[in-house]
Amino acid sequence: MAARGHVQDPNDRRLRPIYDYLDNGNNKMAIQQADKLLKKHKDLHCAKVLKAIGLQRTGKQDEAFSLAQEVATLEPTDDNSLQALTILYREMHRPELVTKLYEAAVKKVPLSEEYHSHLFMAYARVGEYKKMQQAGMALYKTVPKNPYYFWSVMSLVMQAISAQDEKLAQTMFLPLAERMVEKMVKEEKIEAEAEVQLYFMILERLGKYVEALDMVRGPLGEKLTSELQSRENKCMMMYQRLQLWPECNALSYKLLLKNPDEWQFYLSYFDSLFHLMDKSWSPPNEEEHCVEGPVHTTVAEAVKFVVDRMEEEDKKDSRPLRGPYMACLELIHRLRQRGCPDEEELGDPLELMLQFFGKFGDKPCCITDLKIYLHLLPPEQHTQFENRLGELVPLGEVGEDGFGFPGDTKALQRHLCVCQLSRVLGLQHTLDTEGKLCLITELKAHYHYGLQFGKSCLKTELQFSDTYCLMVAHVYIDLWTETGDENMLWQCLGVLEEGLSYSPSNAQFKLLLLLLFCRLGAFQPVVDLYSSLDAKHVQHDTIGYLLTRYAGSLGQFAAASQSYNFSLRFFHSNQKDTSEYIIQAYKYGAFEKIPEFIAFRTRLNQSLHFAQVRTERMLLDLYTEADMELTEEHRRLSLEEESVWLKVRSLTLRLLASLALLGHAPSKRNSDKTNENGVSAKSSTLQTLLSQLDLTLQTAAQITEKQTQYPFLGPPSSRLASALSSGSCHCQASALQLSLTLQELETTGLDDSSELQTQICNSFKSLIVQLQELLSRCKGDVLEMKDSRLMTQPSLLETLVFFVETVCVVLWVASYSASVLRPLKSSLQKKKKKKTKDSSTAMPVVLSGFQEWTGSLQGIVTQALDHVKGQEASLTALKLAALTLGVGHAQTQEECGFTRAAMDKVQTSYLGSLQELGDLLRKRADSLKSLKF
Amino acid sequence: MTTLRAFTCDDLFKFNNIQAFLNFLSQYGIPFYLQYLAHWPEYFIVAEAPGGELMGYIMGKAEGSVAREEWHGHVTALSVAPEFRRLGLAAKLMEMLEEISERKGGFFVDLFVRVSNQVAVNMYKQLGYSVYRTVIEYYSASNGEPDEDAYDMRKALSRDTERKSIIPIPHPVRPEDIE
Repeated sequence: MAARGHVQDPNDRRLRPIYDYLDNGNNKMAIQQADKLLKKHKDLHCAKVLKAIGLQRTGKQDEAFSLAQEVATLEPTDDNSLQALTILYREMHRPELVTKLYEAAVKKVPLSEEYHSHLFMAYARVGEYKKMQQAGMALYKTVPKNPYYFWSVMSLVMQAISAQDEKLAQTMFLPLAERMVEKMVKEEKIEAEAEVQLYFMILERLGKYVEALDMVRGPLGEKLTSELQSRENKCMMMYQRLQLWPECNALSYKLLLKNPDEWQFYLSYFDSLFHLMDKSWSPPNEEEHCVEGPVHTTVAEAVKFVVDRMEEEDKKDSRPLRGPYMACLELIHRLRQRGCPDEEELGDPLELMLQFFGKFGDKPCCITDLKIYLHLLPPEQHTQFENRLGELVPLGEVGEDGFGFPGDTKALQRHLCVCQLSRVLGLQHTLDTEGKLCLITELKAHYHYGLQFGKSCLKTELQFSDTYCLMVAHVYIDLWTETGDENMLWQCLGVLEEGLSYSPSNAQFKLLLLLLFCRLGAFQPVVDLYSSLDAKHVQHDTIGYLLTRYAGSLGQFAAASQSYNFSLRFFHSNQKDTSEYIIQAYKYGAFEKIPEFIAFRTRLNQSLHFAQVRTERMLLDLYTEADMELTEEHRRLSLEEESVWLKVRSLTLRLLASLALLGHAPSKRNSDKTNENGVSAKSSTLQTLLSQLDLTLQTAAQITEKQTQYPFLGPPSSRLASALSSGSCHCQASALQLSLTLQELETTGLDDSSELQTQICNSFKSLIVQLQELLSRCKGDVLEMKDSRLMTQPSLLETLVFFVETVCVVLWVASYSASVLRPLKSSLQKKKKKKTKDSSTAMPVVLSGFQEWTGSLQGIVTQALDHVKGQEASLTALKLAALTLGVGHAQTQEECGFTRAAMDKVQTSYLGSLQELGDLLRKRADSLKSLKF
Repeated sequence: MTTLRAFTCDDLFKFNNIQAFLNFLSQYGIPFYLQYLAHWPEYFIVAEAPGGELMGYIMGKAEGSVAREEWHGHVTALSVAPEFRRLGLAAKLMEMLEEISERKGGFFVDLFVRVSNQVAVNMYKQLGYSVYRTVIEYYSASNGEPDEDAYDMRKALSRDTERKSIIPIPHPVRPEDIE
């Protein structure tokens, strides 16, 4: 909580208990205590603010706000009130109010270093760069400390970075910042490393690379000491920008002699070498090539350099470094690109790679290293390469099953590397089904054998042989996609479940399982897997998208809601957190990090996934909660993302929201006066949204025509295609369209509207037909046993979800229709009563049509419920235990157990989805009853 | 072979590419990383493989009183992805952190490690660290497992010529008794 000032102030003593209550989360007592204190000391403003904090934390935002403003208008200058108000405003997400607070305080106490600095930070929190620049300067004039001056300079740089107009940045903000720093340089007032770094940043952004280089090499550069090789790295960067290839080459050479494992310098060494060769550069004089030392300008020199580095490593007693050997392959790759014949001097790539494998084959990274250079081998060498590699793997004697096994983990790792290389080279893909099944048997045998090496592994550690298991799974997936044999899929799930049982922390197992269960439409196990992955923070963005794609679309609404919440919590806290650390970066002079933090925050905020989660979460709320109260917030949903699906969903959400505002506001509707303006404004919104939806659906149709197929392990395709082909999109759109026609009827009235009424009745009928069709697409079995094989049709589940969503939308429109028609009907009845004699007036078409419609809707929902019930029954009746597993696939009893467990999970998850869908339908069916007149 | 460079915010997005980052490492929230980036950017170094994969990282800070000869470098996190282990990368990253601490005029470098984590304890011993003291129940319980003690391990830097900072304290201390 806030710093409590100094002991001498008696007010501190009085306020202390309130602070304590707040700290302990006892907000009620804090409020009471504040009230007590305020009775005695009316002018103790801080007590009011603390009370406001208590109110804010107990959900009484409005009360809290007005209380806070009472104090704020007095423009307090005591620490306690200011700090308490700062906390309160931050909790209210109103950081802009903090700036007002300290603007007033600074005016009243112009010499306070503290208030000036608070004002600067308050501006920083809301990103008011210009005001920051002024506040920093004002602070420096009050207390001439260097950091304050440079806060102001940095604020100029931020104005440059955020300027819409790059010209303004280049001609005004940055030059001004440069002059400000130059002034300090001339007066020899530069003190800290951070100041030099900021100077470098400015020169770099101005493109003044020569000046930047001089500065880094000069006396100011001597201050760059914190970061290792800071000066060298900055020089290198400038050499590259200025295309000073001799210096770049010489510096890379120097740094590589010092550390022959620094990959980035090999790259800059080769880059510069070839640039120099292209320019036929030669040194100006014999002794000194350039300021950085000797320069290499020929392939011969480069070859010798790399060969020397390798020989150095060969001579070493300690562990050799991979850098020089990789550099050799990189040089061959580059020479070949240039069509240069000298590559032979370095040796045959095949031999070099074998040599590399000999040295590093027992390291797990060997595969990622060699993978980059496999293209150096011609295809006809691939099999030879695999065989020669095999010779370098020490395996034990071949046993009964025809396999020899590694004797220790190093041999295992080598064997594994060969298997992986063979997969990368495509040698496994060319095998036929029989060959692939044999490969699976071999890999499985190695997997099980290798488990003995990891018996003492902790739960958090991986098994040495996990990768075998993963490879088995991938071969199964190959087989499944090639042959469509679902048994392959079940066994794949089984083997992954088995792998997970031995290696419960293996995230790759979990991710692959997660993906497979998603494809199968079984969301329940996915939730457990995701939470066991313990996704943290940014991973909600990078992995979470998988979940959001499948959660709602599979009818697991509770789980979906939970997973959206996970992700949302992360995104929201990010926005608050980053601002805090931007401020810290100013305090500690980490100027280079400030633009980085801001870019990071922007990246997260603009994440498509974030936008999706936000929208999906709200739609879900709408579908599941029958009596939803819509706030302005829902309508203000921003539609920045271009993703069409997101747009369709957002438009649907906004349409429902406007509809709710129209239909669910009976109090307003009763007073006829207010009706006019409100409705006409709303109806034009409705119209605009509808035409937007129409346009978006057209674009969507164009997109889905392309039928983009993503690779299995690639991103999941969106729900767009199936939403369109099932007819769900169009049914929802025509339902929403109907609401517009109903509005028209509301203004016209029942007399003189027969055409309109007929139109509405036709829409009623057409919607029924569309829903019927959609429902008929849901028919079939999601899970069935055929010839003792288990078959899935997850798409049926997805279509069923579309159906239920569409029914929800139609029922919303139905309830809106009722709210339009009901008053029309009662006014009709009043008229009737007046003209009792003339009772021959027939019931208007639209009213009878509506009654018929609700009846048909009821019928469809009942049909759907029957279908769901039927599916539940047949799912429950499926006796998985009756399946004979493992026949012909040499699965052990234990392996069959894992496969069965995976099947169980899918079955249970389908049942869960059906139950949730059934519940939702039943709830909505109840609401239908209330629509009848 | 490795590219060693300063850690940037965008690296946070690459974390889940690596098993290790999923399992062992992302125990910290974004604010925690940002705090280190804002305060001690030079102490936050990442190692990148030629293919662009993150191999590992080290994150640390400088703290303590100079007057009491307690100014030192602290290793907050060190992690190497499983596929890049046994290459000496951890040693390289530690060496860099020590070098930075040398330049800042630190007396020693220290770190905390779970008493049960023998692999790590041995590695640090090989790198010249010794157990300075035991901190009781430094790691709080999770998943039903009990609280665990930590070793506070130290290595003297050149400024501590008499190597006073690493003379072991025989009695264990409680977490609240350490700064």
